Amino acid sequence: MKWSVTVDSRVVKVDPAALPDLQEVEPGVYSLVQDGQSYEIRVAHVNGAHQVDVAGRRLIVDATDPHRAAPRRRTEGPQTIAAAMPGKVIRVLVKEGDAVETGQGLVVVEAMKMQNEVQSPRAGRVIAVAATAGSTVAAGDVLVTIE
Amino acid sequence: MFRKVLIANRGEIAVRVIRALGEMGIASVAVYSDADRRSLHVRRADEAEHIGGAPSDDSYLRIDRILDAARKHGADAIHPGYGFLSENAEFAAACAERGVTFIGPSPEAIRALGSKTEARKLARRVGVPVVPGTEEALGGLDDAREVARRIGYPVMLKAAAGGGGKGMRRVDSEAELESALRDASSEAQRSFGSDEIYLEKLLVNPRHIEIQLIGDLHGNTIHLGERECSLQRRHQKLLEECPSPLVAEHPQLRHEMGEAAVKLARAAGYSNAGTAEFLVDGDGRFYFLEMNTRLQVEHPVTEWVTGLDLVHMQLRIAAGERLGIRQRDVKWHGAAMECRVCAEDPEHGFFPSPGHIVHLAEPSGPGVRVDSGVYSGWDIPLEYDPLLAKLTVHGPDREAAIARARRAVDEYAITGVTTNLGFFRDLLRDEEFISGRLHTGFIDEFMARRPRHEPNSHYDVLAAVVAAMHTRDTEPERTDQLRGSRWVSEGRRRMLR
Repeated sequence: MKWSVTVDSRVVKVDPAALPDLQEVEPGVYSLVQDGQSYEIRVAHVNGAHQVDVAGRRLIVDATDPHRAAPRRRTEGPQTIAAAMPGKVIRVLVKEGDAVETGQGLVVVEAMKMQNEVQSPRAGRVIAVAATAGSTVAAGDVLVTIE
Repeated sequence: MFRKVLIANRGEIAVRVIRALGEMGIASVAVYSDADRRSLHVRRADEAEHIGGAPSDDSYLRIDRILDAARKHGADAIHPGYGFLSENAEFAAACAERGVTFIGPSPEAIRALGSKTEARKLARRVGVPVVPGTEEALGGLDDAREVARRIGYPVMLKAAAGGGGKGMRRVDSEAELESALRDASSEAQRSFGSDEIYLEKLLVNPRHIEIQLIGDLHGNTIHLGERECSLQRRHQKLLEECPSPLVAEHPQLRHEMGEAAVKLARAAGYSNAGTAEFLVDGDGRFYFLEMNTRLQVEHPVTEWVTGLDLVHMQLRIAAGERLGIRQRDVKWHGAAMECRVCAEDPEHGFFPSPGHIVHLAEPSGPGVRVDSGVYSGWDIPLEYDPLLAKLTVHGPDREAAIARARRAVDEYAITGVTTNLGFFRDLLRDEEFISGRLHTGFIDEFMARRPRHEPNSHYDVLAAVVAAMHTRDTEPERTDQLRGSRWVSEGRRRMLR
């Protein structure tokens, strides 16, 4: 049976049976001997996707549901701005109804003593503020929605 | 010698000190915050004491609780590591009052050299060159404006009590001065409890080279050579090495900078380990920058090339022993370099990326040393520094050390979190890096030219198959089994009791 998954947002069709000598040698660590070449491949399930390390590079594989590919980045309509990294919300710089410019700071998130200002990807109006000062956020948590 | 030593720190440096204590037959006491109960340093220590909440000002910066822990456990000395209270003169003095030995310089020497403004004054007095700038903390915006006009832009604002890049701002023109001063002051206040800022001329693209010092309580002070620390992001070091490629070209530099550093240390009555940091221009002119009155993160680089163990030396010196070696006994062999392995994302401005370490495989083999504070299955706390481990390597010369570092980075695997290992993989193959033409702006330039990895359809297929296999074969069954098993829930209930 063929599987369709996305690798770094490229659609790849694969047949797991095509790699007969793939062995899980440690939890999350796979060894493959193919055409006389030895590969070590590591996989970790993080935030709903797989981080796969192969030959010194990290690829993000979404194998959960090939039909639910990542939505294309939208430039019109409501857009959610999410935390890129886990951290703590230090300050919320906007409120519902505010007009924002491209690059304007929305929320300040701190992790490991580093503060990062999350900026608006485009001009628009803030329609929802999910972030609250002092709260902890995970990567991918929605902070602000603009339209 | 001490019988039991408390380590007032966490992470890899606490583990490093615990190892030295074990080698010397001294019992170790770890302290930990709420966020660190499961940390490696707690697991490795002989004894451990909880000292408060996750924020460091409620735990690792609490002098009272750390001293109470030392008394409760009967520790006769405290090793402060680096960061936290390591350069805090009040802490060193409080230890002395309680009859506990502080493993480091005296409170007086920390005061004389730990404040950057005081250290600069002392350097001027003993004839060690410094970067032009203010002698005193700035009186305010008007003062800053006047000094900056006099010495010329660009200038650098720095926290007087600071270190590690906190409370620092580059200012290229007068228009930027006001907001930069405000930001630097508030960051300094938050990080160090003092908003004092000083200002100095910014040398454009200098090298950052430091000298390791060590002195005993009997007036013997020597230097252990330099470390090149030019590779930095946000003024925090990423890769350090000895010899400095510049010193390899100008061998007298090691001697000249070493002498200057020793002169400063003697003038301040300095003992134990310390580091004098210098900026060096392309012509080999050096300017004293600041003194770090503690063990440095990158000390293993010096340990590799000199064959000395700095933590053992620190302990023996604090116990009153003599240094035992003279300057002429110090010899440097081969080349060593350190990669600071951090939970951070080089593709997003090196922003910290804490999380759960799913799998960890550390490199080993000839000439490789890993000083780690982490393990598989550990959750990296949000509250502290993103440094996970230090990979240091040694080889007969710089070329061999680079080759060894590449090999070791290739062996290193950390999954579940984003780390800078891929960055090192590329950096160690960069022609400019290999040529040794390093400067403090190097990383910014490298990030702009670093290689882009083109998609490789073969690797895509391997990744896709492995991810698909991993989803299908392991995770659903494993979680279902764990969820459904009464043995597991019973085990959990017992563990919690």
